[in-house]
Amino acid sequence: MKGRVRWWAGILVPFAALALGRWALPLPFVVEVLIFSVYTMACNFLLGRVGFISFGQPAYLAAGAYGTAFYLYYFGRDPLVGMLAGVLSGLVFAAVVGLVFVRLRSDYFALVNLALAVIVYHVMQKVLAPITKGDNGLWFLDRMRATPLVDLTRPEGFVWFAWLVAVGVWALYKYLDDTVFGACCLATKTNEDKVKFLGYHDFKVRWTAFTLANTTAALAGSLYGVYFGFVSPEMASAARAADPVVVTILGGTGTLYGPLVGSLAYVGMKDLVSGVVGNWEFFVGLLLVVIMLAGERGIWGTLEPWLRRRWTWRRATPALQE
Amino acid sequence: MDLNLWISGVVYGLSMGSIFFLLAAGLSLCFGLMRIISLDQLLYYSLGAYVAYQVNVSTGLTWPAMAAGALAAGALSWVVERWVFDRIYAREITFTMITSFGILVAGVGAIKYVWGLVPRPMGIPVEAQVAVLGVNIPLYRLIVIAIAAGVYGAIQWLLNRTIVGTAIRAAVEDVDQVEGLGVDVYRLFTGTFVGAGVLSGLAGALHGPLVMVDPQMGLEVVPFVFMVVIIGGLGSLKGTLVSAFLVGQVVSLGSLVYAPLAQMAPFAAMLLILLWRPTGLYGSALLRR
Repeated sequence: MKGRVRWWAGILVPFAALALGRWALPLPFVVEVLIFSVYTMACNFLLGRVGFISFGQPAYLAAGAYGTAFYLYYFGRDPLVGMLAGVLSGLVFAAVVGLVFVRLRSDYFALVNLALAVIVYHVMQKVLAPITKGDNGLWFLDRMRATPLVDLTRPEGFVWFAWLVAVGVWALYKYLDDTVFGACCLATKTNEDKVKFLGYHDFKVRWTAFTLANTTAALAGSLYGVYFGFVSPEMASAARAADPVVVTILGGTGTLYGPLVGSLAYVGMKDLVSGVVGNWEFFVGLLLVVIMLAGERGIWGTLEPWLRRRWTWRRATPALQE
Repeated sequence: MDLNLWISGVVYGLSMGSIFFLLAAGLSLCFGLMRIISLDQLLYYSLGAYVAYQVNVSTGLTWPAMAAGALAAGALSWVVERWVFDRIYAREITFTMITSFGILVAGVGAIKYVWGLVPRPMGIPVEAQVAVLGVNIPLYRLIVIAIAAGVYGAIQWLLNRTIVGTAIRAAVEDVDQVEGLGVDVYRLFTGTFVGAGVLSGLAGALHGPLVMVDPQMGLEVVPFVFMVVIIGGLGSLKGTLVSAFLVGQVVSLGSLVYAPLAQMAPFAAMLLILLWRPTGLYGSALLRR
C-alpha cells in the first residue's frame, strides 16, 4: 500500500505542480506543454527503451489528428468519440507500418520513418485533397458538441482533460518499466541476440513497443486536433520531424520526467525566443548540437542525480541508462 | 502519348538524377568510410546554391559563381568536421544523425536570417537549346548530366587508381587495420567529409538555376536523397548512381502520367525494395560496426 502511494506520488507531484501552473502561466502554454509532453513521451520510449530513433513521428501524429478530424468533420460531433477514432486510426496505421519497419536496421529505420512523414504529408496535401481540403485543412471547432463534466470544446475545460490524459500516459509508461515487457524492450536495445537466446520473440517485442509508442503519438495528434478544432497537412511536415527527438534528448533520454521537463523548456524557449528574434530554428539546432556534444544527458538527466543527492529519494526512478 | 514529351521527360529525369547523385554520393561515402549519417550535407547543398546565387547577382558570372558555391560549401563542411564530427566519430550512428540534424536545422535558420524567406531566381549559365532526336532540350540540363558523369568517373578513378583511394577502400573494410599500417585515418576522414561537402555544394549550385533558391530547399530534397541512399544501399557508390537515376526517372516520368503520383511513386518503390532487400540494392549487410 505504501509502495503504491509512493509510486503514484512520483507521477502526481510533478503533474500537480503543473496543474497549479495553470493559474500562474498562460493557458495555451500549459496545454501546449501537456500535449507536447505526451507526444515526446512516445519518442522517449522508442529512443530510450527500445533504441529506435525515429524522425518520422509527425506521420503518426498526423494519423491521429486526421482520424479525429475525419470523424468530427464528416460523421459525428462528439469530441470524445473523435479522439477514440484518432487513437484507433493511429493504432491501425502504426501496427501495419510497424510490420515492415521494425525489421530494419537502426540507420535505415530512421531514414524510412522520415520518408514516411513525407508520404503522409503529400497524401494529405495532394492525393486526398478532395477529402482533406488540402492546405486549407479541416475546420471543425464549431461542429463539436460540448461534453459533460469537462467541456472539451473550451480551452478551460480542455486543459484538465489533457492533464488527465498526460497523467494516464505517464502512469502507463511508468507501469511498463516494471513489467517483463518493459525489461524485454530494454533488452532488445542493449543486446538483441541475448533476447532471442532467452526465448523471447524480439520481433514481437519491438513491434508491440513500436505500435504502442506510435499510438501514443497519435493520441497526442488527436489532442491537438480537438484543441485547435483544426487539422492541416502541416502537422506531418518533415521540417518539424526533429522536434520530438530534440525534446527527448533535451529533457534526458530514457528518464521518466525527461519529456515533461524537455517540453516545458522547449515550449518556453520557443515562446521566448520567437518573441525576440523570430527565427528560433537556429537556436533549436544549435542547442541540439551543444547538448549532444555535452554528453547527451539532457536537463533532467543532469538534474536528477543532483536532486537525489539533495533529498536522498527512497524510490529511485527506474532510469536505466546503457 | 506524345513521344517528344517522353524524350524530354527522360532527359529531365536524368538531370534530376544527376543532382540526386551528387548529393547522395557524399552521404553514401561518409557512411561507408566513417559510419556516420551526415544530414548536414543538405545544409552544404543549400549554402552552395545561395553562395552561387549571391556571386552570380553581384558579379554577373555564372560558372565561377557555381565553383564559388561548391568551395564555400567545402569550407563550411571543413569547419563543421573540425569542430563537431571530429569529436563524435567514435559514437554510434544515430548519435551522428541527431547531431548533424541539429547542424542542418541551425544552418537553415541562419540562411533564413541572412537571405530571408523569399525564394530567389538564379540566372541560368547556358540558355541554348539543342535538338535531341528532334526534341529541343536545354543544353544546361545536358551539361549537368555530363558533370555528374564526370564526377562519378573521377571518384571511381580516385578510389581505384590512387594510393589515397586504396587507403579509403581499405578503411571502409577495416579502419583499425588501416590505422595499424600507419595511415592517419582522421586525415582520410577529413578529406572525405570535405569532398562530400564540395559535391553537395556543387549539387546545390547546379540545381539553383533549375529551381528557385529558397531556404527550405535543403529540407525539401531530404526525402529524395534519403530514398536514393536507401534504395542504393548505404556506402555503395555504384548503388547510389543506379538508384539516383532510377528515382530521377520515376519522379520525372511519373509526373507525366499522373502529377500527384510523382511525389509518391518513389516512396512506394522504396518500401517494396526494402521489403525485398532490407539493406538496399547494393548495400552490404556486413557493413556494421
